[in-house]
Amino acid sequence: MQLRFGRGRRARFGAAAAITIGALALSACSSGGGGGGGSSSGTKTPLKIGISLSLTGDFSDSGKAAQRGYELWQSVANKAGGVLGRKVQLSIVDDASNPDQVVTNYTNLITQQKVDLVFGPYSSLLTVPASRVASRYHYSFIEPAGGGPSVFAQKLTNLFFVQPAATTKGGDVFANYILSLPASQRPKTAAYAKLDDPFSAPIADNIRKRFEAAGIKTVYDQTYPSETADMTPIISGIAAKNPDVVVGGSQEGDAFAQIKAMIQLKFDPKYLFESNGANSPGDFPAAVGLPNTNGVFSSADWYADSTIAGSKQFIADYIAKYGGTANKIDPTSAEAYSAGMLLQEVAKKTGKVDNATIISTLHSGTWPTLVGNLKWNQYGEPQGDYVLVQWIDGKLQTVFPANGAQHTPLAPKPAWAG
Amino acid sequence: MHALIQAIILGILTGGVYALMASGQTLIFGIMKIVNLAQGALVVLGAYLTYTLFTTFGLDPFLSIVITTPLLFLVGVVVQRVLIRPLRGSDVAELSLLVTFAVALAIEGALSFAYGSTLTNVQPAYANSSWTVLGFQVSVVRFVAFVLSLVLLAALYFILQRTKFGRSVRATVQNPASAELLGVNASRVSAIGFGLGAATAAAAGSVFGMLNAFNPGSHYDLISRLLTVVVLGGLGSIGGSVIAALVMGVASSIVSAEAAPIWGDFTFFVVLLLVLLLRPRGLFGARVRGAL
Repeated sequence: MQLRFGRGRRARFGAAAAITIGALALSACSSGGGGGGGSSSGTKTPLKIGISLSLTGDFSDSGKAAQRGYELWQSVANKAGGVLGRKVQLSIVDDASNPDQVVTNYTNLITQQKVDLVFGPYSSLLTVPASRVASRYHYSFIEPAGGGPSVFAQKLTNLFFVQPAATTKGGDVFANYILSLPASQRPKTAAYAKLDDPFSAPIADNIRKRFEAAGIKTVYDQTYPSETADMTPIISGIAAKNPDVVVGGSQEGDAFAQIKAMIQLKFDPKYLFESNGANSPGDFPAAVGLPNTNGVFSSADWYADSTIAGSKQFIADYIAKYGGTANKIDPTSAEAYSAGMLLQEVAKKTGKVDNATIISTLHSGTWPTLVGNLKWNQYGEPQGDYVLVQWIDGKLQTVFPANGAQHTPLAPKPAWAG
Repeated sequence: MHALIQAIILGILTGGVYALMASGQTLIFGIMKIVNLAQGALVVLGAYLTYTLFTTFGLDPFLSIVITTPLLFLVGVVVQRVLIRPLRGSDVAELSLLVTFAVALAIEGALSFAYGSTLTNVQPAYANSSWTVLGFQVSVVRFVAFVLSLVLLAALYFILQRTKFGRSVRATVQNPASAELLGVNASRVSAIGFGLGAATAAAAGSVFGMLNAFNPGSHYDLISRLLTVVVLGGLGSIGGSVIAALVMGVASSIVSAEAAPIWGDFTFFVVLLLVLLLRPRGLFGARVRGAL
């Protein structure tokens, strides 16, 4: 679950030269397969899918992770004979993390390259303008990485977000868990430290509303700006109130900084939830030290030890194609891969892969993917829940809901190892 | 009260590290009258060098300063010789802004290419350790970083006040033309001055990498902080920048802990605006040329 929006957008002009060169190079590479069209079924022409991704600029790491996921799905699908016998051909172009470029790219893919289908880009910032282009041309828009409120506020009926829930609902499963505890074990007081961006703060706010309704008293509730490098003063303010539970509405770096500050200030809440950062199996232990991860909660859709069907095969295929280890696989790759899985499911069910069929078919039923069984409301907002994960014995494990849990939740959180 | 004192301790320790970064910035301005927009990028470069030395060779981040400072000193000298010295004309100050910004972008681009844009940090075994002193927590890394900053600032002060090179620097700052007439090689002083400024960035970068997660784009936030520290302290005044960095650290820390974090950095800008309204040359800026 990666939720970056426009953090560090000032960095954008830093990549200006690279953007221009990269975009030119990529458009040159990808301009070869134009023409042909061939969406009619039965002719066995390749199934051309156009995707714009952030291969340079602010979102480049995540954009490349999405690219790996899409391309892995392509090679797996083609090895199995393609989709309805048609070989999958991806046309991936670089948008340099730029909302204007993404519009140009999708317009070109649809009107010039005449791709059969399109999949989504990385981040809500780019998904919003991209999905409008797709909607204008009546293309379905299966997208793995745009789950912010602005995406669903557009009320587009061609859009399907390939994660279990809207990103602002990433903490609901933690609230479900805490409120499932017997009253005697429930925390009495809570503190909320929230990053000021359209994803992070609302996650904590959603939890706070439910906690307050259940009588858990708010003793600290503050938002911090994205450029906050040092979280120690904030955590010292929280430590002074000594809450039972701390909820971090966080992205990655700030979640690490919050926990480092708690360790340094020797502040041990009974329950600690970080909406992001702590769900990264590789980066989190590297940032705070593995012994300090014990007992920290987060939420996730896909991670290396996920018990979801197909996950092990995905990991094996991924490592065979790209190398590395399971823990280093970015969830974005699994989310992008799942976009392709949805397409195959539609093809299997209907025998067709045209845009109108995809849109009408996905609007009913439940669809298995690497990120869970998905179903959407009319505007593409998934109606499921993330799973609650917790670091136990040096591993990220699913602990709630009980159905599918790998371990019972560890509470209260053990003291920091230091 | 406990939280307030804890916040002040944190603020002073953090301010010490910014003081080290800002001292290099203000030194470069003092000597050459150019605003070095690459100082933040040099700090991030120092942090990445430390990261590589630590992860590849297991070298302690504080010890790595022995390697990173001479390296960045050389980088600074080369930048000054190759890119800044050729600038001519009455608009050197404006041109140097563009040149140093270009250097910052080049460093950012190279680091993005080499390391990607994911946040990283330097995590030695003692990174999260702290001492409990009278009930207050004092982070080991922050404390050592603060002491190290004081030592390096003292060394810088010694170089400027007690060595022949220091006298040349101060003479150049006070009156470049007269200094040259008296045999000071202004070009050499400028190159070494720029190198020294970059060297302080390297030392600060090693510490910065342990205190904060960073990526190649981190220099934008850093440079905006450094510029405000240097302006508040008085452009060209090393003592002023140290005081200003401590003011920034303590003000941000107290407001973040006691009021609201969202106003933490803003408070510092309010102080900056007030000081500039009442005393446009900054807290310790000289009315005439010559303070350093």
